[in-house]
Amino acid sequence: MNKNIIILRNIKKFYEMGETPYPALRGVNLDVKKGEFLCIMGPSGSGKSTLLHILGCLDKPTEGEYILENENVSEISEDKLAEIRRNKIGFVFQNFYLLPRATSEYNVTLPMIYARVPLKERILRARELLKSVGLGERLHYFPNKLSGGERQRVAIARALANNPEIILADEPTGNLDSKSGEEIMEIFMKLHKQGKTIILVTHERDIAAYSERIVHIKDGLIDFEEKVKKR
Amino acid sequence: MVRGFLQEILVSAITSIKANKLRSILTTLGIIIGVTTVIAVVSTIQGINKKVSLTFSSLGADVIYIQKFPWVMGGPQTRPGGWRRYWQRKDITLGEYNYLKKHASSIEFITPSVSYRTTLKNKDKTIEDVEIVGTGSELPKINQQDVEFGRFFTDDDVIFRRAVCVIGKDVEKNLFPNEEVLGKTLTINGLRCLIIGVLEEKGNVMGRSMDNVVVIPYTTFQKIFGYNRSFSILILSKDKDNAIEEVRFLLRNYRHVKEKDEDDFAINTSDALLKGWNELTRTIFLVMIGIASVALIVGGIGIMNIMLVSVTERTREIGIRKAIGAKNNEILLQFLTEATIISVIGGIIGIIVGILVFLLVSVIAHLPFTIPFWVIILGFLFSSIVGIFFGFYPAKVASELNPVEALRYE
Repeated sequence: MNKNIIILRNIKKFYEMGETPYPALRGVNLDVKKGEFLCIMGPSGSGKSTLLHILGCLDKPTEGEYILENENVSEISEDKLAEIRRNKIGFVFQNFYLLPRATSEYNVTLPMIYARVPLKERILRARELLKSVGLGERLHYFPNKLSGGERQRVAIARALANNPEIILADEPTGNLDSKSGEEIMEIFMKLHKQGKTIILVTHERDIAAYSERIVHIKDGLIDFEEKVKKR
Repeated sequence: MVRGFLQEILVSAITSIKANKLRSILTTLGIIIGVTTVIAVVSTIQGINKKVSLTFSSLGADVIYIQKFPWVMGGPQTRPGGWRRYWQRKDITLGEYNYLKKHASSIEFITPSVSYRTTLKNKDKTIEDVEIVGTGSELPKINQQDVEFGRFFTDDDVIFRRAVCVIGKDVEKNLFPNEEVLGKTLTINGLRCLIIGVLEEKGNVMGRSMDNVVVIPYTTFQKIFGYNRSFSILILSKDKDNAIEEVRFLLRNYRHVKEKDEDDFAINTSDALLKGWNELTRTIFLVMIGIASVALIVGGIGIMNIMLVSVTERTREIGIRKAIGAKNNEILLQFLTEATIISVIGGIIGIIVGILVFLLVSVIAHLPFTIPFWVIILGFLFSSIVGIFFGFYPAKVASELNPVEALRYE
């Protein structure tokens, strides 16, 4: 059996909203196996984005334990969290979040710049990654010259730059037409087959159907889980 | 081609500055003004200093000038009534010259000197603004200027009020071009004087020719221009300080100055003038440093302001960079680099404009065009310090943004 790459124990997150703290997560327990394709579903305001941010080390839980690859990351410094984001995690966002004044190639090299990868290696890897998502001809395009689907593919290439173990995607198809959405999901499937651990947040059943397991969240708690039948 | 992390930060800073060219240039205006002021003023003062030290050496570093008025005003004389006391002073007279010549044992050479500017003619040729100097036979020894040919006048020429003159190079060239001048006469205010010598060339000092001069015996000068002029007495001695003390004592005695009163004459030396000059330039320098600092502070605040705007505008970018693994210090460094580059660009523009301003000044004022290297270093240093200092706070703000909130920022 695969061992668990992610273990969440009683994760709570409160936001300061005036006098009383608002509970976004109220005690989440979750194990994710290495190489698993997991989907988190839930209505808006259910805490699924907060959960993804905590999983991605963008945010710290107020309470609880988060064990990532046998390391307790709930209490470590901001710099350590940045290093984890840099090396172990790749983010894909609904709004792509590319640097607008940078080419596709530069956007993909950016995580490698922070990881101090030498220039030649960076460029080669960025080109290889862009080719693998079908953008070998769009290396020097700026984001505003790319379609939504193309932008999201650049973002995926960027997420893969430092060859992370885990890919976190927040509504990656939310701003795309269904055809582009399908293409993006095909890429995720390919990555899953390559052995990446993928955690995807969505509220669309069609998208969730690509995954192996769906975790439903409601009011800051895990409501229920379901296995997805192989298609 | 190896590009390290720092170069990468530099490239990204330059990219974002390029994206806001006009804004960046406007932001640097304060820095430009500050650095321009520093460069132009320091270079100008240096240039003037060079020129002034030439002037002073032409005055003769060791010559003592006894005169009615001091060269450097200031100190106790400027209190109320000071100016009136100056004007009420008695003229320096030939009697005093004779008294000093007879009694002052510490002096080597002494001569009276008086001058008047006028226009001279020879047939159809004229030369304007010639300095007619009435003096004694010892002048060449005091101001170290010999005759090029012919002779200087003697004590006999002085005693017998002979109508003789020694002319400067400019007068020779303008009034007697390609002519033998010795033995010719020159009419000075109606008196025909025999030219007996031509002085060695001295050149220009402070844009004024030192060779536009005619030297005659002081007795002859009085015959031409009258007796009611205050003289200067020029003294050269082996021991200057000692001579000053002795001359002061003798003159106070001669003029019956009471013990509690101050001197009613001035003993001028070129080092006193140099001291006064240095005080003046120091004041100008301090004022300019003040103006420059204000401009630099204003410029720095401008940079801080624009960087804060930039941080707000690029909140999303900061969030993205953090999400893909940038540490706080790496964000800080990026924004600090940007602020510093903006400031240093201002500094470079300031250095260039400053040099141009000084070029203009040096052409107009006939100053030597030399720019001390350290001034350019100073410009760089000032501008980068301002950039780092005022860029730090916005960079700190950027680095401490919460990544989740930064990403959500619209």
